Amino acid sequence: MALPLAGGLLPSAQADSKPNYVITTDATYPPFDFQDKNNQYVGIDQDILKEIAKREGFTYTLKAMSFNAATQSVSSSQADGVIAGMSITDERKAVFDFSDPYYRSGIAWAVRQGSNIKSLDDLRGKTVALKTGTSGADYALSIKDKYGFKVTYFNDSETLYRDVINGNSDATFGDLPVLQYSIKNGTKLKVMNPKDPFNAGEYGFAVKKGANAKLLAAFNRGLASIKKDGTYNKIVNKYLDASASTFTGDQSNNDTTWGILKANKQAFIDGLMQTIALTVIGIFLASIWGIILGVMGISQSKLIRGISTTIIYIFRGLPMLVLAFFIYIGLPSFIGAKIPAFIAGIITLVLNEGAYTGAFVRGGFEAVDRGQMEAARSLGMPYNMSMRKVIMPQGIRIMVPSFVNQFIITLKDTSILSAIGILELTQTGTLIVARNSQGFRVWAIIAVIYLIVITLLTWLSNWVDKRINS
Amino acid sequence: MSDSKQNVKVHVDKVNKSYGSNHVLRDISLDVNANEVVVMIGPSGSGKSTFLRMLNQLETQDTGTIVVDGFDVTDKKTDINKVRENIGMVFQNFNLFNNYTVIENITLAPTQLGKMDKAAAEKRAKELLNTVGLADKANVSVNSLSGGQKQRVAIARALAMNPDIMLFDEPTSALDPEMVGDVLDVMKNLAKSGMTMIIVTHEMGFAKQVADRVVFFESGKIQESGAPEQIFNAPKNARLQEFLSKVMQA
Repeated sequence: MALPLAGGLLPSAQADSKPNYVITTDATYPPFDFQDKNNQYVGIDQDILKEIAKREGFTYTLKAMSFNAATQSVSSSQADGVIAGMSITDERKAVFDFSDPYYRSGIAWAVRQGSNIKSLDDLRGKTVALKTGTSGADYALSIKDKYGFKVTYFNDSETLYRDVINGNSDATFGDLPVLQYSIKNGTKLKVMNPKDPFNAGEYGFAVKKGANAKLLAAFNRGLASIKKDGTYNKIVNKYLDASASTFTGDQSNNDTTWGILKANKQAFIDGLMQTIALTVIGIFLASIWGIILGVMGISQSKLIRGISTTIIYIFRGLPMLVLAFFIYIGLPSFIGAKIPAFIAGIITLVLNEGAYTGAFVRGGFEAVDRGQMEAARSLGMPYNMSMRKVIMPQGIRIMVPSFVNQFIITLKDTSILSAIGILELTQTGTLIVARNSQGFRVWAIIAVIYLIVITLLTWLSNWVDKRINS
Repeated sequence: MSDSKQNVKVHVDKVNKSYGSNHVLRDISLDVNANEVVVMIGPSGSGKSTFLRMLNQLETQDTGTIVVDGFDVTDKKTDINKVRENIGMVFQNFNLFNNYTVIENITLAPTQLGKMDKAAAEKRAKELLNTVGLADKANVSVNSLSGGQKQRVAIARALAMNPDIMLFDEPTSALDPEMVGDVLDVMKNLAKSGMTMIIVTHEMGFAKQVADRVVFFESGKIQESGAPEQIFNAPKNARLQEFLSKVMQA
């Protein structure tokens, strides 16, 4: 039920006889992993994986998320494998089993074009932008003290490059081919060590240590096979030799807001639908859970009141992002079962928004004059009947504006769930920007879509408010 | 107990209550007979309202026994909801249900508690509204009523359960002076009909006129009780004398 919603436009060929794996990637990593102008996941990694799957007879469901979340999903058994331009390091070998290397790479560092930084020594006191969890980041950290620079972290490459180009930070460390591809496609950075990358290393496909040996073996067999017959070289050349527009679309599709909108129409619609699905289901379940917490919060039993207060305290206190990571990445390895991203997202919304709802529901009931309860009880009406017939109807009227407010907050909070790879509106924007570098236009479009939906939601809520409080 | 004392509607024996270090009720004992009208007077904070609210257990006692209609309401095993059905209560601030119309306020408890079906409850509600002089207000929102009208609806609401006993907690204290008369008239008629009534009030004239017995509370104690003539014309207790000299001046 959740997969079609969560999968969105991801390729997910299903066949009864073939094994199906969940593979994660970071789709903001051209030329290895990114979305093309048709919003398909492409890149060296993706073409290799697709070809190997075909030859080895397995199918897979691809999940795009941040690099960090992509690797953690595998180490927590939420996914079976990760292919995301991932360098093979000793540290990672402790957690993952790697395939044979499929690409030789190394760490390069880059500054904005026209920068007067000439050597690593010039970085003293400067800020270096790094992508969370990458080997480029690890390398930069290892020399950070030696050269005396500060670091700042990002989850997607495009925002990171922007930060350096705009001068908020001064340099970045990343994989050489990725930086070169991005520069070729118009990113105004300059690689400082194109000939001699640091820590020259290799990329591998990874599974959780000790798990999915079959998948790993199939990948290795397939890799050998495509290297042997020249398919591998074809794939690499296809991406490294091609001009940007082959994958990112014509200038006209990216230079105007209208062009972006037209070229990515389906992606925006799918992202919006996913956002709406999260919002509607989230609001519905969070309201029910919140009302339960609120009713428990005014219970006659000290114990039940205490439970309600504690639950509200915990889930109101946790940042939603932490909660989302905990449920999606932390919990599965603990309970030993997978939790689809969409379900994890809904649980996150319900726990977080439900706690806020519970707090104002309790407050609304408490705001009803004590005398109302006393009058009902004095007539012989039991506590529960008095609550239901007298206190709750009045409390709910008091709460309506808080509910409207919470609905709008819930809609906005769904954007946080992009972090666990749910392809909703914000994640859609991230992927499109990763491809076309049109941050201003794309984020403006996304912002307007959010505002339109919030306006509609507000109108609907006010209409309901009028009907209840007329 | 109820068999041997058929006539005793309310029996209170050595009730005590403290809020922290504030001892608000000290060894209160009191019996109220069927058809009797008892008026409780005394300065603010003397414990009379707390005592009244204890009779239907809106307040709980620390020690002591309270028997109403033969049921020991201080016993946890007693179904207090059943006992309350027979004890009507009228509050200083009316406490009409804001989410219902006038007639719904009156029919809610009898219908919800299965005492009457909707049609019977509405018929009875209209009779009661007629009795309190508000027949034309049946379908209006309670928020559109004046204080005096609200209190008369509250009395009708309490009577709709056909109680044996009615408790009044300063029923006219929140009213504009010109509204007080209407409410007191309703209460006088109720007293004439033979209802057992326990009333906390500052209306001394009303107490003189209607009470069978007047009970003077002061510092959490019953300082003196007796027929109205005795209390108002020949008070023995020094504190009662002082209290009366103050309220009669006003």
